[in-house]
Amino acid sequence: MTRIGIISLAHGHAFSYLRSLAATAGVEIRVADPDAAPGEAGRGAAALEGTGATWADSLEDLLGWEPDGVIVCSENSRHRGYTEAALAVGAHVLCEKPIATSVADAQAMIAAAETVDRRLMIAHPVRYSDAFVRLRSAIERGDVGELLAVTGTNNGKIPGDRAWFTDPDLAGGGAVTDHTVHVADLMDALLDGDAPVAVSARSHRLLHPEAAVETAGLVQVRYAGGVVVTIDCSWSRPPDYPTWGGLTLEVVGSAGLARMDAFGTRLDGHLTGRGQAWFAYGPDMDAALIAEFLDVVRTGRRPHPDGHAGLRGAAIVAAAYESVRTGDVVTIEQVLEASRPT
Amino acid sequence: MGTHPPVVALLGAGGIAAPHALGWAALGAQLRIHSVNGAEALAAATPGAVAVGSLEEALDGADVVDICTPTTVHPAHVRAAVAAGVDTFCEKPLARTAAEAQELVDLADAAGVKLLPGHVVRWFPAYERLHAAVENGDLGDLAVLRFSRTGSRPDRPWFHDVELSGGIVLDQMIHDLDQALWLAGDVTEVTAQQSRGTEDHVVTAQAVLTHVSGALSYVTGTWGPVGTTFRTTFEIAGTGGLLQHDSTAQPEVTIDARDVGGSTGLLPPTGAVSPYQLILADFLAWTQGGPRPRLTAADGVSAVRVAEAALESITTGRTVRLAEQNEVSA
Repeated sequence: MTRIGIISLAHGHAFSYLRSLAATAGVEIRVADPDAAPGEAGRGAAALEGTGATWADSLEDLLGWEPDGVIVCSENSRHRGYTEAALAVGAHVLCEKPIATSVADAQAMIAAAETVDRRLMIAHPVRYSDAFVRLRSAIERGDVGELLAVTGTNNGKIPGDRAWFTDPDLAGGGAVTDHTVHVADLMDALLDGDAPVAVSARSHRLLHPEAAVETAGLVQVRYAGGVVVTIDCSWSRPPDYPTWGGLTLEVVGSAGLARMDAFGTRLDGHLTGRGQAWFAYGPDMDAALIAEFLDVVRTGRRPHPDGHAGLRGAAIVAAAYESVRTGDVVTIEQVLEASRPT
Repeated sequence: MGTHPPVVALLGAGGIAAPHALGWAALGAQLRIHSVNGAEALAAATPGAVAVGSLEEALDGADVVDICTPTTVHPAHVRAAVAAGVDTFCEKPLARTAAEAQELVDLADAAGVKLLPGHVVRWFPAYERLHAAVENGDLGDLAVLRFSRTGSRPDRPWFHDVELSGGIVLDQMIHDLDQALWLAGDVTEVTAQQSRGTEDHVVTAQAVLTHVSGALSYVTGTWGPVGTTFRTTFEIAGTGGLLQHDSTAQPEVTIDARDVGGSTGLLPPTGAVSPYQLILADFLAWTQGGPRPRLTAADGVSAVRVAEAALESITTGRTVRLAEQNEVSA
């Protein structure tokens, strides 16, 4: 049996991972939710009913169970602490995105994994979506020639069901933190880890001005190889939008164009009394992500995306905030330099 | 309308002159076409049109002039038209630089000559409808606007010489820069980046604008390989919701058959009444004492100013603030 622990139910993705794990043969699942408030909806032991997981009363209980792999689904700012704790007992770690809320934390997590020779994977499931797999193979086949530019959108509703998403201390930021990294990870895959070199970003709170974090943003990234990317990370779907949001890429190549909609496999329509219909179908990208992590846990091979890919995303986010602050283009070198231990 | 068919001098006979000529023909104009190339062929294809041998001949006694020449020639032709006292329609961009465009506007104003730049997208029905919805408050306060414009690269070399045409930013993306200005108002800063293929003139650029209102706009344009489908998209999000459009998603008519050229040219497919005809009709009515069009010459200057800032940002790799656009930002 492969033992998989989950630390925290703060991120709703935990339940999707639980479903995928429960559907996989040879996996035992145990969950601890150390930061849940008593009686908090969707949290704690009560939330596990029917998931097939067993409950651990504390983080120590969970880690003492000696899991082979741990999935960290905590608030963003707690990723580093829980990741380091799991690595310390010899577990491979799948950390919810973003890897961390600072470049320094991301670097520390990578170092911690390397020290104990365990794998650190970041949960970017869109990499495993059917749409992206097909887009990537078309690009790798050379169908659109040399890659020149990409426009990525990852727009959603403001995350309303979990308050920490708009808490600057727990989330590390708003839409720029939440949604830049998904597209950045897809670029990391398309460009095989080519280094981002310069970032410009603007953000605002015109949508949901009551929020304590930015709710919309545009982030421009230039990569070492010359590819330019703009990401719309805004929480710009209205509260009554028929689904949480979506993710698209528009790719410009020297010999052609390509585009993908990661959530394009759906039935659209209109239902009397219920409004716009939006029925998704097709392969579950979270299940593919979990399959990847289980394979990493069982074989010890390098995961995709790994901590270094996560760090490249975290550096883009850090540079984006610095660009918002200074009003000018910021180099990745600047943000890496700023987080270097002195 | 006047009592006689309007006499129109059409300068230039290249790609954009063709839909203009058709628009004028539909408006019953007597068209005099003057061009260094192709005037006879275009005149032959256009009802009520003749080719004329000189600029003077074209302008003499004309009611209006329609300038469809390359960007670098716009100022000379506007000046000639203003000197002749002929109300002037000039294709976008009004000029290669905002300073030059402003000079033309001032010159026309001083001479009492009406001048309208060809930001025809304001007359494309989807964009017209979007603007009406925004004006109506359907989207609340605008927050994030995205526009894209994609098509085959132009084949004439001057388009690809940034000194002459301003490249994709000033020639193609200016349409959507104008949309951003029309919908969300003045712009304070621009950051842009560009990427081009190593051959074949394929180029794409991406510009982010900050509006005075605080709203953000993203404008991207692509001159793709020859054969690329013409496609425009927008998504406008505000406090009241969002509106999206993709010109290829819900075509009025689709013909799926061999050898029926698709919309892979330099211009979008248009409906029964072309937006080129509509903008020219509004211009003509204005010159005949009708209402001022939804677009002014000053708008044409603003669009060039934002486009120039984007070009400067591409060159310097820095953000360009419009109040200080001629300096390198701190």
